[in-house]
Amino acid sequence: MNRATAAISLIGLCFACPPARAQVLPSEPVTFGDGRVTLGGDISATYGSEDPGFFNYTDYEHSALRTLRIDVSASVNAGDHVSVLAELRTENFDNFLPYALYVRYRPWSDRDVSVSVGRVPPTFGAYPRRSYGADNPLIGYPLGYQYLTSIRPDALPANADELLRKRGNGWLVRYSIGDPAFAPGVPLASAFRWDTGVQFHAGNDIVRGTMAVTTGTLANPLFTDDNDGRQFAGRVELRPMPGLIVGGSLSRGLFPTTDAVRAAIAKGARDGSFTQSAWGTDVEYSAGYLLMRFESIASRWRLPIVDPIAADLPVSSVSTSVEGRYKILPGLYVAARVDRLVFSDLAGTTQTLPWDANVGRIEIGAGLSLQRNVLLKTSYQHNSRDGGTLPHVENLGAVQVVYWF
Amino acid sequence: MALVSVSLLSVTSVFGRPASVPQAASRTVALAARSEVPRNGTIRGRVELRKVPTPVERRPAVAELGSPGARDLPDLLRSVVYLESAPRGAFETNEGGHAIMDQRNETFVPHILAITTGTTVDFPNTDKFYHNVFSLSKTKRFDLGRYAAGGSRSVVFDRPGIVRVFCDIHTHMSAFILVFSHPFFALTDADGRYHIDNVPPGTYSVVAWHEGTATDPKSATIADADAELDFTIR
Repeated sequence: MNRATAAISLIGLCFACPPARAQVLPSEPVTFGDGRVTLGGDISATYGSEDPGFFNYTDYEHSALRTLRIDVSASVNAGDHVSVLAELRTENFDNFLPYALYVRYRPWSDRDVSVSVGRVPPTFGAYPRRSYGADNPLIGYPLGYQYLTSIRPDALPANADELLRKRGNGWLVRYSIGDPAFAPGVPLASAFRWDTGVQFHAGNDIVRGTMAVTTGTLANPLFTDDNDGRQFAGRVELRPMPGLIVGGSLSRGLFPTTDAVRAAIAKGARDGSFTQSAWGTDVEYSAGYLLMRFESIASRWRLPIVDPIAADLPVSSVSTSVEGRYKILPGLYVAARVDRLVFSDLAGTTQTLPWDANVGRIEIGAGLSLQRNVLLKTSYQHNSRDGGTLPHVENLGAVQVVYWF
Repeated sequence: MALVSVSLLSVTSVFGRPASVPQAASRTVALAARSEVPRNGTIRGRVELRKVPTPVERRPAVAELGSPGARDLPDLLRSVVYLESAPRGAFETNEGGHAIMDQRNETFVPHILAITTGTTVDFPNTDKFYHNVFSLSKTKRFDLGRYAAGGSRSVVFDRPGIVRVFCDIHTHMSAFILVFSHPFFALTDADGRYHIDNVPPGTYSVVAWHEGTATDPKSATIADADAELDFTIR
């Protein structure tokens, strides 16, 4: 029995007790210190099919379909204007890391205006705010936020041919320039690490805007800087009517590490500004029992490739995701997501191909609330990839138990 | 939560039970034989809350951009006092009325609603944003979906018991609906005072309930005078 299976069994036992008996775990946030400190938590245990094609891996070791994830979040209110927010997270008990830790200052307690400093929530996109088990109607994550492309910030291909040879190998890839070790590539936007910096937010009932300056990039959020570069990110959200949210995001920041860039320049790459630039749009519409979401991310990387064909750089990628959830009975819903991740063409010596293998996913699933804060989910995925050495097609199933307070 | 579950079971099992009050019946017969018409009375008293629970806080919104606005806090001072067993005939007059549980500034208003079976409860939304009222209680399982300001949905409560109501969007919103199969119950005022009127002569078990905690039953007799009964909930 592995950790995820054990966790599902444990959570099941905790809640399988008759209603008249005491519930083992809290069902609401825990407060103390005269209400100044509030603790919340999310635990999700997932067990699913083996994924030899690495379609669901968030890094080399963690498949989203076989993960025990524990989040403990806290807010500490130091008066009417200042609060400290933090979140500790572990996956499969490997590390218990401060996923988020920042101070938020609100100059006016009755206005939605704030400045946050520290490891702040992602400015870009809509999905990072609903990546928690209870907010995600399915088990898998959108490809744009999870699928590991073959690009790395700390290791660089010497030329287009080398990059093309790594198509579909983002789960574990190495290049001839920079860090020589094998390591996973990066997704278009990371939903599993948060960036560090300063974030300004202002909004009202209809319009909300957020800007941030941080150390990492969308694909590679960082706690400590590795290239003396800053990322600038912004997001505008419109809520013209109840149930409709339309968002637009952009970001731009230095992507490769200083060491990787130096190594590339030493081998003949031209100096320049090597950035990740991204644009995102998202729409959420809900009414009655229906919830629909659309999100698209377009990302472009300028890399210090030693032997580039100028017309083919930068490399770019677009992810598009549409998901829907419909409640068919109290406590029971069905959901589906269609995902596509495509890459721009790159001309090598002998052939022109997308620089990474295009990926698609269709996921359908259902969720049953065992009680208000205990959700049992199941889903089925059809994954496909247009190249690479790993399996091109995989059909995967998974079950997940989510508990939150 | 444990206390909620316990009381849910116990109250569910007795809410719908017709009274077996031989004392009341025999006394009524005896009084009738003497051509004296017994008058209905009132059970009144006070419920003292030794510890008032604090309102449920919002979950730490670590991933949110910006801070949530101020919200109203639920009135947690109210209790419900009810006859655990009701006089015979009390169940024949339930016609089912209308009650309202509003959703206002991220709070259900009122926080506790006590109704009789057959009552239709309207759930209007007076906020500018969506709410999604639902309950997974055994007594009544429903989900009203998302609807905006000015919208309202209704639910008919046709079984006695306790219904815990939540909002699917705002997890800190919750309320109770206590559904009785007889009309002999009362909601306390802000000072904890209550009165159950028009109670036929007899001896009854009376229970006070607050936020999922029910007291042990106390006995009250309506004879020539009203009954006074105080409770303490720890």
